[in-house]
Amino acid sequence: MTITATDFNLNGSGSVTKEPETLNKIPGNRAIWVGIFAELTEFALFFLVYFIAKAHYPEQFNQGPQQLNTLAGTLNTFALITSSYFVAKALASIRMDDPEQSIKWLWRAVICGCLYLVIKVWEYHWNVDQGIETNTNKFYTMYYYMTFNHLLHVGWASGSLLWAIHQLKVGRYTKQNHIGLTAIACYWHMVDLAWVIIFPLLYVLR
Amino acid sequence: MIKNIFTLNALDISWVLLMIITSANAFVAETAEPSLAITAIICCSIAYKGRRIMDYFMELNHANETIQFFMRSYFHVFPALIFLSDLFSEELASLTTLS
Repeated sequence: MTITATDFNLNGSGSVTKEPETLNKIPGNRAIWVGIFAELTEFALFFLVYFIAKAHYPEQFNQGPQQLNTLAGTLNTFALITSSYFVAKALASIRMDDPEQSIKWLWRAVICGCLYLVIKVWEYHWNVDQGIETNTNKFYTMYYYMTFNHLLHVGWASGSLLWAIHQLKVGRYTKQNHIGLTAIACYWHMVDLAWVIIFPLLYVLR
Repeated sequence: MIKNIFTLNALDISWVLLMIITSANAFVAETAEPSLAITAIICCSIAYKGRRIMDYFMELNHANETIQFFMRSYFHVFPALIFLSDLFSEELASLTTLS
């Protein structure tokens, strides 16, 4: 199925354009991008602290990932990537004037978000059973700090997806007007992008 | 000219590629011994996954150039920093040691 150039409204703002809506435009709105860059700066600081801590405690950072539950980390990555895919599909559906389908895709994304949270809680319980706690060593302190912070982001971003579903249901997001949905989608993808770096740092690289 | 850029197929292909790369990363995590070569491969996979999500899910591939620049830079700089911090870990430790 193809969306042609003539189908686009200018960045979902109601003005019809012959160009794709994101061509040279800010996807969503400026406010969401201030938020996205602020969040990415926060994660950047975590990553810098990780590099320094790893340089000072190489043994702990070498052994740490081996003790973690790689399956849980991998399933979480699957859940987030799949949810991002569903959100992108939801945006494509509203552009094709199909809010019902858009709502269905968003519910699937919310389910993936919930799945992520369930897997993370299970992983934390599994860790405690293995004797891995926040103060076990510097690697695990870093691990809990980064993953719990990311978990909070997934939590409130899932809430924003629920808000988007509500807006679609009451008809506030339409083919002509869906800047809010585009903004929420961008934020959700940012949460996914942060995990794209966190997953290899904590579970793969030694 | 711009017709056919936004195809749903591009989304599907991106999802499949991202899942395959994630599975490969998990396989590396479980089997490979740490080395600079493995770190380099993982860093490339981070950069590629980030680019794929930004271009096709976030649709930044023809969005505002400033946003494109900063977002793409993020996914060039951090994979590079991961590799460099591994390569020069002793220097980094001495640079960040409080005397």
